[in-house]
Amino acid sequence: MKKLLAVLSGVLLLSLGSGCAVNRATATVENPAALTNLKTMHVIKLEADGRGIDGLIADKLRTRGLTVTTGAEKPENVDALVTYKDKWMWDITMYMLELTVTIREPKTEFPLGTGNSFHTSLTRKSPTEMVDEVIENIFKQGK
Amino acid sequence: MNTLIQRTSWVVASIVVLHLAGCASPASHEGMTAEAVAVSKKLPYSVSVETKGGSETGAMDSSNISNADLKAAIESSIVKSSLFKNVVQGKNGDYDLTVSVTSMSKPMFGMSFTVEMETAWSLNKRSDNSVAMRKVIKSSHTATMSDAVVAVTRLRLAVEGAARANIAQGLKAISELNL
Repeated sequence: MKKLLAVLSGVLLLSLGSGCAVNRATATVENPAALTNLKTMHVIKLEADGRGIDGLIADKLRTRGLTVTTGAEKPENVDALVTYKDKWMWDITMYMLELTVTIREPKTEFPLGTGNSFHTSLTRKSPTEMVDEVIENIFKQGK
Repeated sequence: MNTLIQRTSWVVASIVVLHLAGCASPASHEGMTAEAVAVSKKLPYSVSVETKGGSETGAMDSSNISNADLKAAIESSIVKSSLFKNVVQGKNGDYDLTVSVTSMSKPMFGMSFTVEMETAWSLNKRSDNSVAMRKVIKSSHTATMSDAVVAVTRLRLAVEGAARANIAQGLKAISELNL
């Protein structure tokens, strides 16, 4: 009977769960020249972000010599806006499963470059490492 | 009698597991093709299509959209809608259409799967390299248990639906341009 329950649990898992262990880090840049000319950026803070991911992204961009502000507003007097989406999962502790960062034109919000990293539990990275990986990959594509 | 019921339950459960088990499959270009796009005009130009930002579906991954399948789906949708005179390969068209997948949010667990997708569409006139359109297109699609009981299939259907809606919106936006 216990084995039967185990099989039925497997059935439930297969019917509800959509994927397994994955590591992925990608970036796409529309126009590499446009990225190299950027001097000022504004990271748009997500309302639901209570972990300060906007601050981590801003800090990382500052290490590249950019002048960066953060906040929920969308100023147009900057060279680019930065948006992000973070997804978290629980496995013993909470960890960042996925991070997508997009650098956009301020007026049209058209993407100039975007990067995505996805690491499941066994190869999890800290939020700082995830931010580093995504930003580095965007600017590598922009060279 | 109890033993008989237990054995029968085992056989049924095993069949169900075998039926449900399977790897994630990539979104297919057939599933992403927009069938009936209501375009407001038919353009007397040729177009070439390039796609970026897609990713392959690994053996342990969830459904993704590859650049090749997205390109094929956009090309098929253009042909079905007759928006452009024809679709050409390489850089030989009157217009170059580039579509980049900016982000795709996929759930990992649940009964209903809603996939949200954002793409960047840019249409350039080849003769003078002028920009005819630059537009961010956002779409979403929800697949429920009635669409597919198996989660990996349900997610693929949600991904394909979001891509289909995205392509339909993109082509409609192009049809509204004065080229």
